Amino acid sequence: MATVTDAGVELDGVSVDFGDVSALNDVSITVEHGEFFTLVGPSGCGKTTTLRAIAGFESPTEGTVAIDGEDVTGRPPEDRNVGVVFQNYALFPHMNVRENVAYGLRFRDPPGGVSRRERVDELLELVDMAGLGERDPTELSGGQQQRIALARALAPGPEVLLLDEPLSALDVRLRERLRVTLREIQQSLDITTVYVTHDQEEALAISDRVAVVADGEIEQVGSPEQIYRSPASRFVAEFVGDNNVFEAAVDGSDPPRVSIDDQTVPLAAASKVTPGERVTLSIRPEDISFDERDVAITATVEQVEFLGDAYRVHCEWGEMPILVKTTHDEIPRETTTIWFDAPDVHVVGRSVTE
Amino acid sequence: MRERAERFAVPLGLVTTVSVLIVVFYYPVGNVFADAVSSDGRPTLAPILDVLTDPFYTGIAHHIFTDPLGVPAGIIQWFLAVELSPSGLDLPPTSIGLFGFTAYQAALSTVASVALGLPGAYLLSRYEFPGRHTIRSLTILPFVLPGIMVAVGFLAMFGRNGLFNDVLAVVGLGPVEALFTLEIVVVAHAFYNAPLVTRLVTTAWESVDRRQVETARSMGATPFRAFRDVVVPQLLPSLLTASLLTFVFTFMTFPIVLALGGLQLATVEVWLYARVQNLELTEAAALGTIETVISLGLTYLYLRYEARQVATGRAGPSLARRQLVDGVRSLRDPRRLAIAAYGVVVLVVFVGPLLSMVVESVTGPGGEFTFEYYRFLLAQQTSSAIGTTRPLPAIVNSLLFGVGTLVLALPMGIVVAVVANRDVTGSRGAEAVLSAPLAVSGIVVGLGLLQTLVFGTVLFDYRITVLGPSAIVFAHAVAAYPFVTRNVAPALGGLDPRLVDAARSLGASRFRSLLDVELPLVASGVVAGAAFAFAISVGEFDSTVLLAEGVDSYTMPVALERYIGNRSLGPSLGAATAMGTVLLGVTAGSFVVIDRVGGRWQP
Amino acid sequence: MERRRFLRNAGAGIVGVSAFAGCSSPGGDDERPSRTESGTGTTTGAATTTSLGGTLRVATYSSFTGEGTAGNWLKSAFESEYPDATVEFTTPENGLNQYIQRANEGAPIEADLYVGLNTGELVRADEQLDDPLFQSLSEDVAGVDGIKDGLQVDPEGRAIPYDTGYISLVYDENEVEQPETFDALLEPAYEGDLIVQNAQQSDPGRAFLLWTILAKGVDGYLDYWQGLQDNGVRIMSDWNPSYEAYMNDEAPMIVSYSTDQVYYHGEGVDMAKHQVGFLNDQGYANPEAMAMFSSASNGDLGRRFVEFVLSEEAQAQIADLNVQFPAVEGVEMDEEFTRYAYEPPEPVTFTYEELAGNVSTWIEDWARQVASK
Repeated sequence: MATVTDAGVELDGVSVDFGDVSALNDVSITVEHGEFFTLVGPSGCGKTTTLRAIAGFESPTEGTVAIDGEDVTGRPPEDRNVGVVFQNYALFPHMNVRENVAYGLRFRDPPGGVSRRERVDELLELVDMAGLGERDPTELSGGQQQRIALARALAPGPEVLLLDEPLSALDVRLRERLRVTLREIQQSLDITTVYVTHDQEEALAISDRVAVVADGEIEQVGSPEQIYRSPASRFVAEFVGDNNVFEAAVDGSDPPRVSIDDQTVPLAAASKVTPGERVTLSIRPEDISFDERDVAITATVEQVEFLGDAYRVHCEWGEMPILVKTTHDEIPRETTTIWFDAPDVHVVGRSVTE
Repeated sequence: MRERAERFAVPLGLVTTVSVLIVVFYYPVGNVFADAVSSDGRPTLAPILDVLTDPFYTGIAHHIFTDPLGVPAGIIQWFLAVELSPSGLDLPPTSIGLFGFTAYQAALSTVASVALGLPGAYLLSRYEFPGRHTIRSLTILPFVLPGIMVAVGFLAMFGRNGLFNDVLAVVGLGPVEALFTLEIVVVAHAFYNAPLVTRLVTTAWESVDRRQVETARSMGATPFRAFRDVVVPQLLPSLLTASLLTFVFTFMTFPIVLALGGLQLATVEVWLYARVQNLELTEAAALGTIETVISLGLTYLYLRYEARQVATGRAGPSLARRQLVDGVRSLRDPRRLAIAAYGVVVLVVFVGPLLSMVVESVTGPGGEFTFEYYRFLLAQQTSSAIGTTRPLPAIVNSLLFGVGTLVLALPMGIVVAVVANRDVTGSRGAEAVLSAPLAVSGIVVGLGLLQTLVFGTVLFDYRITVLGPSAIVFAHAVAAYPFVTRNVAPALGGLDPRLVDAARSLGASRFRSLLDVELPLVASGVVAGAAFAFAISVGEFDSTVLLAEGVDSYTMPVALERYIGNRSLGPSLGAATAMGTVLLGVTAGSFVVIDRVGGRWQP
Repeated sequence: MERRRFLRNAGAGIVGVSAFAGCSSPGGDDERPSRTESGTGTTTGAATTTSLGGTLRVATYSSFTGEGTAGNWLKSAFESEYPDATVEFTTPENGLNQYIQRANEGAPIEADLYVGLNTGELVRADEQLDDPLFQSLSEDVAGVDGIKDGLQVDPEGRAIPYDTGYISLVYDENEVEQPETFDALLEPAYEGDLIVQNAQQSDPGRAFLLWTILAKGVDGYLDYWQGLQDNGVRIMSDWNPSYEAYMNDEAPMIVSYSTDQVYYHGEGVDMAKHQVGFLNDQGYANPEAMAMFSSASNGDLGRRFVEFVLSEEAQAQIADLNVQFPAVEGVEMDEEFTRYAYEPPEPVTFTYEELAGNVSTWIEDWARQVASK
C-alpha cells in the first residue's frame, strides 16, 4: 500500500511511539489538493500528533508521510514547505507583526515574484490587519494574534496549511466569526489544509472532510454529513453531535427488530443485522418527534431547555435517558408518546451474544 | 551550502565541544584520576579506601568503611555515652574528619551566600534606581579576584586594626577578633559566591511574566500569596543552581581558607594541594576523586530536580520596578528601610574589602599615602630587562583571553544547554558529566594539564604538547562554559517549544531557530553567562601559568602573583594590591561593556 | 606502625645537629676583610672565556629574574664575561616539581641548571626518581670549597648553595619582650602573639617547623606544637599574607627572616616593629642552591656559570639583590647590609642525609595534628 499518489497530503500506515506509549497506531489518511481536512477527537487522541507528523515535528516509528506526492518522511520540518498555526499562535515575542510575518521569507522566496515587503503587505491585507505591522504581538488581542499567525504561516506560500486548534483560545463569537474567515481564505487560496480541533461542531462546520480520531486510530473518515448521519462506530456516534445510543439484542423476526424496555423497535432492512446479534444503535435527537412517525415509544419528559430556535427535551424511556430536539411549540408534560422513523435508527456497533 | 552547514551546526557544535573537553579536560583529569583507581594497569580501590578508612579524613564515618557491620552498634555506643549533667547534655567527642568539616563549612558558606545574595536579587530586579545597570554589571566583580587580594582586603577591613573595628569603636562597640575564625572564612566565601546568587536569581526574577502575577492577584491572591505561588516557583531553580554551585565551590575552596582561617581550618583541598606539592599523586588522586564524586553527585541530583520543574511559558512583560527612593515616604516604608539595612551589610562585606584593597595600594608601610606602588607598575612597564612582568601586556592578554573565552564558551555552553533540554533519557546524566569542569578541583585540573598537555603525549612516536595562548583560551572556555549552560539552560527550558516549531515550519533550520528565536528570548541568561565566562577567564590562574608557552603569556592575576614575589619594594603586597586595583578597574569596565553590548541585543 | 618505627630510627641520626659558628651577632658590627678588588675574570682562564658559548637554560623561580634582580645581574655579567653565551631563564610555576614530574613521565627536561633549590626539594627529587635528576658538580667546579661549612647540605655535591637566609622571629618590641627560647613561646604572656606559616607550602614555615624538630627532637616536636596551638599560634598559608597580617597588627610576633631590617630601615620607620629575635640563640639556615640536570646539554657552560655565581663579586651582588646572606665564606657585604642583617649566634640546619626519608613524614604528622577535626 506504499504507493505514493499526488494527493496534497498522504499518511500511509503511520505509527508514532513515545517510549513505550503508542501515540499513533497505523494511521492512513489521504488529503486531496485544496481540500479542507479536519482531524477531530478528544484530547490525547493523537490528532495533534498526526499533525506534527505531517509537519515533521515527530518522526513516525513506522509508515510514510508524503506531501504533494513526495515522500517527506525523513525530512526536517524546514524542508517540508508547510505552514503551521499553533493553538497559542507561538508568535515571536521579540519581533513585531511585520517581522513575524516576514520571518519565513528569510528562507523561502515569496511566491508570485513579488518583493518580501509586498508579500507581507499582501498577507496583512488578506487577514485584514493592514496598518498594524509595527505593533508588538503582546499589544494585540487574541483574535488579532490568530490572524497574524495565519498570515505568518501563509507568507512563504506553503503547499499545505496545518492548523492546530487555532481557535480554541478565543471566545465563542469570535471563534465562529474567525472560522468563516479562515474557510474563506482557504478557499480563495485553494490550499490543502489539515485542521485539528476537539470541537466536533467546528469540524462539521468548516471541513470538506473529517477524520474522527480516538486512541491513536482513525475511527471514521468522511464528509461532515456522512460523519454526522452515518456514524461508523459508537464512539463517532457519541462524539459527533448530540445522540441517543442504546444497546439491544436483535430478535429473529423479519424485518429485524430489537426489544428495548419491553418495547419493540423495528430496524430498517438496510441495517443488515442477524438474529441473536447484540447491536449498538443510535438515533439523533432531531430525528425524534412528538408528531406521529413510524415507531412510537412511551417516554417521560424530565427537563426542557429552550434554545431559541428549538427545544432540547430530556426524557426517560424506561430507565434510559433519551434526548429529543424539536421545533414543536408545545412540549408535552410527563408521560407521552414520542415517534421516530425506522431508517433513522443506525447500527453503530455489533457483537455476537455470548 | 550554508543551509547544509546550518543543519549540522548543533550536532557539530556538540562534537566540537566534546572534543575540546576531551583534550583539555577529560583526558588530563582522567590521567590524574587513573592513579586513584588503578595500579600498574590493574583496577584497584585501595587508594580511595585508604582515604575513606582514615579517621583523619572521614572522622567517625570511617567506621562505615572499616567495619560496616559494626556501624549501628557504634552509634548506639555513642548515644550510650551521652550523659546528662547539670550543665546540660555532655556529648562524647565526635570527630567529623576533614571531609565532614569541609562539608560543614561549605554548608555554612552556602547559607551565608544565599542570605547575602538574595536581597540583592530582590533589589536589582524589583527596584529602579540610578546606577542599577552598572551595579548589576559589577555584581560578579568579586569572582575575578585572586584569593590573596581578597585576603588583603579582608585583613584591612576586618583585621584587629581594620576599618570595621574602627567604625565599631566610633559607635562604642567592638573590637571584634574576626581573623582566624570560621566566621570570617564563611563571610569571605559569601563575598565570592553571594554575587553568584544575586546574578542568577536576578536573571530569573526579571523573566517572571508580569501577567502571571496579575492573574494570581485578579483571582484574589494577596501580594504575598502571589509571590509565594507564582514568583517563588520560578525563582527556585535559579536559587538552587546558585546554592549548588556555591556549595561545590566552597567545598573545593582553597586559598581563602588558609589565608584567613589558617591551617586549623584546613579543608580537603588544602590537603590535596599539599599532596600534589609533595608529589604523593596517588593520594591526591584519591582525594580528588572523592571530591568529584560528591560534587558531581550533587550536580546530578540537582539536574534531576530541575528537569521535574514545570516549564512556565515566559517571554512576557516582566514585573514592574518600583522606584527605590520615593520621597519622604521612603523613610517610613519598612521594605525600603530593610533595603537600606541591606545596603549597610553590602558596604561592610563587599565594598569594604574591595575599597580596603584599593586603599592599601596607596598606603605605604608606615601608613602614609603613597603612589610608590603605581610608580612601580610604571617602572615595570618601561623596563626593558628580561623576565620583567609588564602590566600592559598583562591587561591586553587578560582581555584577549577573556574575549576568546567568551567567543568559545558561549557556543559551547549554549550547545550543551540545548542538548540538556532535549527530553531524552539520560540527558540529565549527560549534562552532569558535561558539567564536570565545575566539579573537579582546580588543583587536579592543573596537575592533569601539566602531565598531559604540557609534558606532552606520545602519539605515533611524536611527543605532542598543547601549549600557548590558544591552549589557554581552550582551558578557560572549558572552565567557563558550564556557567553559560547553567544560565541559559533553565531559561531555554522555560520557552514555549512551539516557538521553535513555528520557526522550523517556516523554513528555519534548528540552528537558525536557535539564533533567531530562542537566544534573543533568553538574552539576559546569555549575557549573564557571557559575563561569567569572561570573569572566569580573567580570574583564572592555574592553567594560565601552566599552559603559557614561554614567559610572555601572562595575565593580570599572573602578573599580580609575580609582583607578590617581587622584593624590589621590600616585603610588601603593595605592588600586588596596585595590580589588583588595576585588575579590578579593567574587569569592572569590561563587565559594564558586556552588559551594555548584551543589553542592546536583549528584546 | 611502620612509619613510627622508621621515624624513631631516623630520629637517632639527628642527634648531631649541624651547627656552625656565626659571623656576626645580632646588632653586631663586626670587622670584615675588605672586598678584594680582583675582577671575576681571574677565576676562569681567558681561553675558556672565548671558546665557550651557546645557550644556557636556567630554570628558576619567577622573582629571580626581572628588573633589578639577581638573575638579571647574573645574566648580563656572565654574558659579558662569555660573549658567545646566552643565559635564558625559564620559570615554571610549580618549581622543581615540574622537572621531577617530567623525569617521571619521560618528558624532556628543557633546562640545564636549576637555581633556587632547597634541601627538602633535593630529598623529594631523589625519593621520587630512580635515576638522579642532578649531576655532581663539586669535583669540576672551582669555588665550592669556599662555601660555608654549615651550608654544605648535599654530601654528593649536586646542590651548590649560593646564598642563605636565616629563619628567626621578627617582633614588635612595643608590644612584647623578646622570647629567648622555644619554651618561652608557650608562656601565657605570648598567648595569641605568634604568626607562623604552613610548613606544607611555605619555605619559612617549613624551616621553622624543622627548627622546632631540631630543638625538641623528633619525639618532642609534636608535643611542643600542641603547646603552641594551645597558646594560640596562628598558622597562615604563606609568608606574604602572614607578613601582611603582622604589619596590620594581628599579632606582635612572626616567623620571618633575619634580614628583615634591611628592607625596613630609614626615616620614619618604626624600627620597634622590626626587631629580629633568635630562639635558643639559634637561627635556622635555609640555603638556596643551584644544581645541574643530569640531562644538561651544555654542561661546560653550566659549570662555568656555577663558578661564576660563587665568585666573590657575584656572591655580594646576589646577596644584596636577594636580601640574603652570601653562601661563600668571607664575602664583603656593603655597610648597610652588614648593619641591618643579623646572623644567628648558632646557625642550624638539617642536612640532606638527615632529611632524607623523614621530612615528609614529619610535616605530615605535624599538619595532621594541627588540622585534625
